[in-house]
Amino acid sequence: MSGEAHRAFRCFGGTVTIHLLASDPGEGEALAATAEARLLDAHDRLSRFIEESELSRLNRDPRPEVPVSPLMSSLANAARMAGARSGGLVDATLIGELERAGYRDSLGDREPLPLAEALSRHEARATARPSPARRWSQVQVDEEAGTVTRPPGVRLDGGGIAKGLLADLLAATLRGHRAYAVDCCGDIRVGGSTDKRRRVLVGDPFGGEPIHELRLSEGAAATSGIGRRCWIGQDGRLAHHILDPGSGEPAFTGVVQATAIAPSALLAEVHAKAALLSGPERASEWLPHGGVIVLDGGEVEVVHAERPLPRTVALR
Amino acid sequence: MDPIRQHERRRQAQRRLGAQRRRAGLLRGRVVACSLIVFAFLWGVVFVQMATGNDPVLSAKSRTAGARSSRHKGGNGSEEAASEAGGTTEPEEAESEYAEPEYAEPEYAESEYAEPEYAEPEPAETEYVEPEPVPVETSQS
Repeated sequence: MSGEAHRAFRCFGGTVTIHLLASDPGEGEALAATAEARLLDAHDRLSRFIEESELSRLNRDPRPEVPVSPLMSSLANAARMAGARSGGLVDATLIGELERAGYRDSLGDREPLPLAEALSRHEARATARPSPARRWSQVQVDEEAGTVTRPPGVRLDGGGIAKGLLADLLAATLRGHRAYAVDCCGDIRVGGSTDKRRRVLVGDPFGGEPIHELRLSEGAAATSGIGRRCWIGQDGRLAHHILDPGSGEPAFTGVVQATAIAPSALLAEVHAKAALLSGPERASEWLPHGGVIVLDGGEVEVVHAERPLPRTVALR
Repeated sequence: MDPIRQHERRRQAQRRLGAQRRRAGLLRGRVVACSLIVFAFLWGVVFVQMATGNDPVLSAKSRTAGARSSRHKGGNGSEEAASEAGGTTEPEEAESEYAEPEYAEPEYAESEYAEPEYAEPEPAETEYVEPEPVPVETSQS
């Protein structure tokens, strides 16, 4: 028995889990329940698949400057930061391209195409490039005024960025407790005052047992891959949800999954996605704090940290 | 009285007194010698007993231990009574059984040693060990 309060629930199209070890077990249960409610509320506000979510309303709004909630301004800031940090590889403004690829509704529990089969259907491999339009850089946030400014028609997608951001925001409320872990569908933030290292297992994109084990006492890990949401489009072509911003098409770079360790879950998400989009040659350059790369053929490359995780974490 | 006879009487008295003193000294010497011999002999007996490990005090104790350990082994009551009776009425047998308690003694010690083993978990319970955090899995989001 670990003594940790534990919650697992469906959210963001996957399973979210919260582990919390508080001084008082009753307090841990109550805090975990509150955290679950916060995440579900955030999901309802940031999902592009919910017609009346704040994100959907922002994306539909014809005004260039739109009043938003603090949570939405955080997401807009995160989208901008992701573009800037990845040189445009992680682009949260590709909703039009995603919809053209067939990702209009939440895939939910729909059974994905097995990765090995998907890879055999698509032989070409190419490193992704940033979009020359750089739409992400047109998103401006005025936190004091509580507004987001962007050209009408530029739409934001929460995607993995929202999961990383919310893992970090939730972790900030749990800081000070003995141990916690927030797992937003693979974007994981861990910490606690005990400094006990938590095992973080890296899943197998081909569906087998975990392929590697990381140990973190304070920090984050995130995984980006093409196996979970893979489908055959209406045109019969293979598609998945990680797009090459340069072409607007699903990216097949030779890397099928990348896991990044970083000080924050948001940064880990950005690093993991950038590593996947950069291809086998340059993927490890995006993992300065360490990580794991899985290639097309199932080869697993463990990248060791060039520098340790800092103790204080900035969200942007 | 004639001084010559007086002198002879004095000399006779002195001889008697001297003889009496010599006898007393001889007797005293014999008594001391006998005492020393008896003392040395008794010490010799005790020394030999101790040196050969046949301490009568230990013998009595270990016999008790032997009887106790035989009870621990769960022998029937009549056998126990017989062994105890034999132990108390036949000293030679008690001596010969002296080796038995040495064999039995570790068992007695073991049964006592079990107590600390039972008590040992107590400090472990009081010492708080932080539980291992539950592992989490990062997979494609």
